[in-house]
Amino acid sequence: MKPNKQSLPDKNGFFGDYGGKFVPETLMYALEQLEETYLNLKDDDDFKKQFYKDLSEFVGRPSPLYFAERLTDYYGTGSIWLKREDLNHTGAHKINNTIGQILLAKHMGKKRIIAETGAGQHGVATATVAARLGLECHIYMGAEDVERQSLNVYRIKLLGAQVHKVDSGSATLKDALNEALRDWVTNVDDTYYIIGSVTGPHPYPMIVRDFNSVVGEELISQSKELFNKMPDAIVACVGGGSNAMGAFYPFINIAGTRLIGVEAGGEGVETGEHAAPLNDGSPGVLHGALSYLMQDDSGQVKSTKSVSAGLDYPGVGPEHSWLKDSGRAEYVAVSDDAALKAFHQVSEFEGIIPALETAHAFAYLDTLMKGFDSNSNIVVNVSGRGDKDINTVAEIDGIKF
Amino acid sequence: MNRLTKKLTDLKDKNKKALVAYLVAGDPDIETTLHLMKLFVEAGVDVLEIGVPFTDPIAEGPIIQKAHDRALKQDVSLSSIFKMIKKFRVDDKQTPLVLMGYLNTFLSHKNLIEDNEDSAIDSILVVDIPGELNLADYGIENKNVNTISLISPTTNKDRIKSIAKNSSGFVYYVTLRGVTGASNLNINEVSKNIEEIKKYAFVPTLAGFGIKSPEDAKLLSECSDGVIIGSSLVKMIEENSQSKEFDRISKYITEIKQAIS
Ligand SMILES: Cc1ncc(COP(=O)(O)O)c(C=O)c1O
Repeated sequence: MKPNKQSLPDKNGFFGDYGGKFVPETLMYALEQLEETYLNLKDDDDFKKQFYKDLSEFVGRPSPLYFAERLTDYYGTGSIWLKREDLNHTGAHKINNTIGQILLAKHMGKKRIIAETGAGQHGVATATVAARLGLECHIYMGAEDVERQSLNVYRIKLLGAQVHKVDSGSATLKDALNEALRDWVTNVDDTYYIIGSVTGPHPYPMIVRDFNSVVGEELISQSKELFNKMPDAIVACVGGGSNAMGAFYPFINIAGTRLIGVEAGGEGVETGEHAAPLNDGSPGVLHGALSYLMQDDSGQVKSTKSVSAGLDYPGVGPEHSWLKDSGRAEYVAVSDDAALKAFHQVSEFEGIIPALETAHAFAYLDTLMKGFDSNSNIVVNVSGRGDKDINTVAEIDGIKF
Repeated sequence: MNRLTKKLTDLKDKNKKALVAYLVAGDPDIETTLHLMKLFVEAGVDVLEIGVPFTDPIAEGPIIQKAHDRALKQDVSLSSIFKMIKKFRVDDKQTPLVLMGYLNTFLSHKNLIEDNEDSAIDSILVVDIPGELNLADYGIENKNVNTISLISPTTNKDRIKSIAKNSSGFVYYVTLRGVTGASNLNINEVSKNIEEIKKYAFVPTLAGFGIKSPEDAKLLSECSDGVIIGSSLVKMIEENSQSKEFDRISKYITEIKQAIS
């Protein structure tokens, strides 16, 4: 099968075998409405103009493609380039999606915005765009994540949104998503749900991918400009998979560029204590989509483990499952320890403190760079900055403030 | 004939309304569930709806979510549920049984549904598949097990048509926008929508989700072919699971049965 980037998802929301709309009946109508709105607007000139204007003036796009000189020297081969999504307003790629979705919400006349968040970056990005339009905003967040991402919890509150702590299940991102879906089922008439990754029922995986694709589009022109060819590889961390999908999508038909997604290996994939469904999962249905999933023999969803709240999720966006099966993208995992080591290394070598999520992508360079010669260009998608993770890392390093 | 189809036809012939009662298998443990199933039937329940516990039950409110969690602590799965039903069927070969749950648990146990040894169950209700599709589309197939589809207040006319035609057990009308156990019933909207469904459905239409009292049950039974009681029973099971004294539940069921007669 030769993947054609224009053709997917199909009209039922499937990427090959994956995706779909597996939701309670009450939401079917809302999803149809959303799909119709999006398909009508996405090629509309005024809509596109507004989207790119906001990205430029409010977010600060385009984000630079930056040559990482000392990291490159350290590995002694190839050139390492950093796509600086960490420099976006609010500090991560998540804002690209919320800027787009809030325009859809506005167009649909919705008065109330809800979202789930893991690391808090999507919560902050959602609260930010809701504040700009003066819309009521509710953010669902697992109790464990409220604890480890307390800085972002306060940022969300400063932005005028309400944070709802979720205690059910494993009290992390998956449970926040459950709770957001329950809110949506209840308040479907006046509420817009801004989902935070390329997950969930159709049309969300498509919408979130498209809004994040600005990253890959910029990367194509920046690569031409800076090294006069396409990158040999793009490396991105994968939680739900939105930063990776945004970087990968415009490259799907550019065969010379390897696309590499890095999942959270937690204590190590072989221990079972991780959050790496593409490496150690099987197809199943969670949160409205069929995709790779961490599950037991009875179809129960397993709890996950990762030092990074934004990757601590047992599922993954359906398009990644398809890219994996079709062989177009590769998916690997790195452990908590490797990610923490990379977190320190990148901070010290480049003067950039990456998010713990992003640190997973950096950690894979140890393995990846061995396979490249000195003419090659490797891009790391720096999905976010690490300010939010300072407390977590300090605690691991035994430091009290 | 399928026990559920037969039961609903018999009730309709006698101009009676169906009473369907829900409980979660394994809440608080499998033995108690087995006991409660018998008690429900003795108290007047026509059809038993057995909740299959799932880690991420997105359509459930807090009461039923907690029941799922309690059952999962007992390691209840579809295979232990089939074992429980086998025991139930030793004494009760009449009562129709419906399994209600989430797609992922059924996908993991396709063979159990395909076999349905000794016709243990009669119907399946999967909360998270679009109603115009069939379980067979997902490789879950058994001609003797029918399917129940949900229609909600937000389902548009075109979908009502295709879902209603496609349901083989009964049509489950979700009476409100919300999760199980919510309380924002709008009887006018309910009766208007059920009228619409009845134009297309080959099978009876039952109403469920927001019923908390015999009064609610009475109101809804007047515009439907029967009612489904869930959260209010699960709450009583939770409150009485220490003592295992369930007289209160029998009494409640009897009251509902009278209210809809
Ligand atoms: C900085 C950062 N990177 C990555 C992720 C993971 O999400 P995704 O896989 O959708 O990019 C998050 C999620 O919170 C994040 O905050």
